[in-house]
Amino acid sequence: MSEDQLANLLGEDPDQPAYNAAFAESFAALNLDDQKFIVKWFEIVGETDAALAAEFVNSAPGVFDELDHTGVEAWLMSALQAFDDEDLDKAHRLLAEPAEFIANYIYMHSRCTFESVSQFVQHFVIGLGGRELIITKFHEAYTDTEKIFLPDHIKDYPGPDLNFSVYKLTAVHLWAQARYGTWRFQVVETLGRISNNADAMAVFNRLECVRLDACIGRELPGIYRQFEALGYVSDEHKQAWQDFRDELSGLEEPTATALDSIALIEQYLDNSKRPLPVLKRYQAKMDLAAVRKAMTARINREKEAVQEALGELQRAIQQVIKGDDIEPLDDEEGRFTIVDADDQSRGDGPNVDLYYDDELIQMTPEIEDLMESIIQDFGEIPEQYMDGVARVPYASDQEADLGEEGFIPDPVQSADTIRYREWDYMRERFREGYCLMTELDVPPVDDNFVEVTLEKYRGLLKSIKKTFEVVLGESKLLRRQSQGDDIDIDALVEAQADFVSGQEMSDYVYTRYRNRERSVAVMFMVDMSGSTHGWINDAERESLILLSEALETLGDRYAIYGFSGKTNKRCETYRVKRFDESYSSMVRQRISGIRSKGFTRMGVAIRHLGHLLNMSRARTKILITLSDGRPEDYDAYRGRYAVEDTRHALQELRHEGIHSFCITIDKEAQDYLPHMYGAGNYAVIHEVQKLPVKVADIYRRLTTL
Amino acid sequence: MSIQAIRTEENLITKEPYYEPVGNEVEVFAAAYRNQLPVLLKGPTGCGKTRFIEYMSWYLQRPMITVACHDDLTASDLIGRYLVKGGETVWVDGPLTSAARNGCICYLDEIVEARKDTSVVIHPLCDDRRLLPIEKLGELIQVPDTFCLAISYNPGYQSVMKDLKQSTKQRFVALEFDYPNADKEQTIVEREAEGIDSTIAAQLVKFGDMTRNLKGVGLEEGASTRLLVNAAKLILDGIPPVVATDSAVALALTDDVDMLKAVHELSRSVF
Ligand SMILES: Nc1ncnc2c1ncn2[C@@H]1O[C@H](COP(=O)(O)OP(=O)(O)OP(=O)(O)O)[C@@H](O)[C@H]1O
Ligand SMILES: [Mg+2]
Repeated sequence: MSEDQLANLLGEDPDQPAYNAAFAESFAALNLDDQKFIVKWFEIVGETDAALAAEFVNSAPGVFDELDHTGVEAWLMSALQAFDDEDLDKAHRLLAEPAEFIANYIYMHSRCTFESVSQFVQHFVIGLGGRELIITKFHEAYTDTEKIFLPDHIKDYPGPDLNFSVYKLTAVHLWAQARYGTWRFQVVETLGRISNNADAMAVFNRLECVRLDACIGRELPGIYRQFEALGYVSDEHKQAWQDFRDELSGLEEPTATALDSIALIEQYLDNSKRPLPVLKRYQAKMDLAAVRKAMTARINREKEAVQEALGELQRAIQQVIKGDDIEPLDDEEGRFTIVDADDQSRGDGPNVDLYYDDELIQMTPEIEDLMESIIQDFGEIPEQYMDGVARVPYASDQEADLGEEGFIPDPVQSADTIRYREWDYMRERFREGYCLMTELDVPPVDDNFVEVTLEKYRGLLKSIKKTFEVVLGESKLLRRQSQGDDIDIDALVEAQADFVSGQEMSDYVYTRYRNRERSVAVMFMVDMSGSTHGWINDAERESLILLSEALETLGDRYAIYGFSGKTNKRCETYRVKRFDESYSSMVRQRISGIRSKGFTRMGVAIRHLGHLLNMSRARTKILITLSDGRPEDYDAYRGRYAVEDTRHALQELRHEGIHSFCITIDKEAQDYLPHMYGAGNYAVIHEVQKLPVKVADIYRRLTTL
Repeated sequence: MSIQAIRTEENLITKEPYYEPVGNEVEVFAAAYRNQLPVLLKGPTGCGKTRFIEYMSWYLQRPMITVACHDDLTASDLIGRYLVKGGETVWVDGPLTSAARNGCICYLDEIVEARKDTSVVIHPLCDDRRLLPIEKLGELIQVPDTFCLAISYNPGYQSVMKDLKQSTKQRFVALEFDYPNADKEQTIVEREAEGIDSTIAAQLVKFGDMTRNLKGVGLEEGASTRLLVNAAKLILDGIPPVVATDSAVALALTDDVDMLKAVHELSRSVF
């Protein structure tokens, strides 16, 4: 720095910052870069307004203490902007009193938002295991044991990294409540009976924190260290918790449960003499009412589901015992029992075994998940869950009473109606000609949906097309060709050898580069059931548009049909695009016109569309289903019956050489899709918005040679 | 594929390979072997299929010939071909023929990768005729009882263009492999990365299990036993655990940024 400049800055000139020891000291404490920055801008600003420049120089060292270089620049620029906007007051205020700007800047730049972490936290929490908790945004954090609610943003700490950690740790803490029994059924019931509930919950929250932290300490030592490092706002805070903990070592035992915490509530309720420690950073409110509501709904749902599943299992077992006849179950039926597994080291799933009388029964993934969730609520499988295994009425029992409600649509019998059979797993035979299938056209809708979609996904479409072109462009060295650009030495040597040994010499001795020839026909079978109404429908339509655009690049043959209906008498498929149709504006308008309709009778739709697919000439034929849930119709087509029929229909296709794949957004799809489509033949997409991207990506991978 | 005469006695495994049985696969394989039935090993990558077949080769005291299949593998690569040597033509057996003649175990690893037409040559071998036709020699080998064909296949997420044909699948006795339970997997990690601290091994297995919770919900496949063993080896060599799992596991599983971060944090939470 030149003498001049320094003199200028620190000089006696009344317009310049008053030379005082304090300023000189703070200026000298800055590093050289920062000093240069100040001098440079002092001169520049000085050209326009000397008073502004003086204010700048005076405040700058202080601002450098608070903000980084970019922050200081932002501060100066906003002042100059105000000056340019002729808001002199504001410019002076910004430079002379920077505190407000600094506070704002720190707030904006260190907070961490829900959007930026939600995907990560969701993966993380699923990875931790147990019942799948859905990460959801709310203005404050808590869990109702189905979802983990996290706030819109967290800004407790300077710097986004630390705030990010607080997001994560809050989620772990709430996960731990669900995992380590804070909300066991009995606990929730007991808490509900305590009077003065709000205060009691405040105590319970703190007691549980001690117990849960100990659980985490045993199971997830890495998280425990982070809890300790980031949980407290000050040393006093930490000390307060330490003192609290010291009195509660019983809760830190591995055997302690939430009931032990409840037993201690009384003791801490009167906090006049000793205040409770303030919540740790990763703690959240406790909402007993929300937990109760979610739990009651879940318990009913799961009890019913278990009994239904066991009922089906029982029927299947009895059928094996008795042979084929389907008779009403007699009284000497066996009993299901649950026994703690010998092998307690099983990675995932519940550590229990299911017995039918004395026989160990293999649990389906569906039953396993249910058991795991029930154990999370009760700590065991309550005895009565095994009792009164529900008898799901046999399909035909229900048919009769459907008519009375007047809901059965008139069978649309026309020349276009085709009859398909349906697989009845209980009878282990087909119901021949049971389903009436009609093919209809989707009414075209001429709105701007296609344009809006193409605009919305312009960048994405470009990259999808590019990856598709890569597939196409992959050229491959073909060996043993009858003509070609080069000699295949291996083949030639072999041919020569054959020749010498007296055999005919092969002509196939050339190599040739050629683009891989694709011969693919794909049928998109789109779920148009009522449950797809709204954004799912939008996502489906968007996916179809992107895919169609991309498929045009590949030149694969494709058709798009929707399906829905109501009962076996009225099964419908809706033409969007036939194989022999080009991707015309009519097709685009039909895509736009796809609307949600009735139910999901999948088997018949698969048989019909599979039939159409089979008639197309291609080496590889693929049926891709876009769906949002289980197969289910208005009548008895549900549960195991529907799953087995769908599975059977897919197997029929497989015998015809057709591959099937399902893309779904149903989070519970894991329970039934592997059984229907086979492992590896399905994909579950967690965020509907990602459907378009994923569909294209899956298609590409599926058909890569 | 390079062709060389295979001297089968070299392929006899003399030292017992370490294999931790997960179920009754050893008994089933042995029974299939005694009954001259071909075996299909099914299971995710890195769960011990190759190790198992090595073990069985030792257990049954039969030499083993392994062929790693690739997409250029043709029938002649398996059966054999004429070569010209010093003006004369010599026939050289391929690995399958060689195994068939000598009554060895022939292991075709990742069979789906091979050209579709290769599966045709293994069909007659797999039904009760147990014949291997060598067209060019005009020879029909009746394979000895000690010959055994084993193939492996990973039914995971893959292109439908590469599925195994029903007519092939249905000729085999299938053995399903999966990752072992926590105790067994810990034993495997400790044995394979000898010297690893048993707490660390347990933590690795726990971490592996967490990644398996993510299968189908963001990951195509969770961490295999192989990846856990690899991580353990890095740790033994002085790499901090979380760095080791990042390099040996996380990056092998996914490219997705959020998922990488999640796997990284899962690792941080167990160690
Ligand atoms: N049951 C087991 N006993 C001993 N080692 C095992 C076992 N399972 C897995 N391993 C370990 O995992 C590693 C990988 O196993 P292996 O190579 O046999 O997998 P693979 O199933 O053949 O996989 P891929 O399908 O990718 O070929 C082995 O080298 C070994 O260290
Ligand atoms: Mg292998």
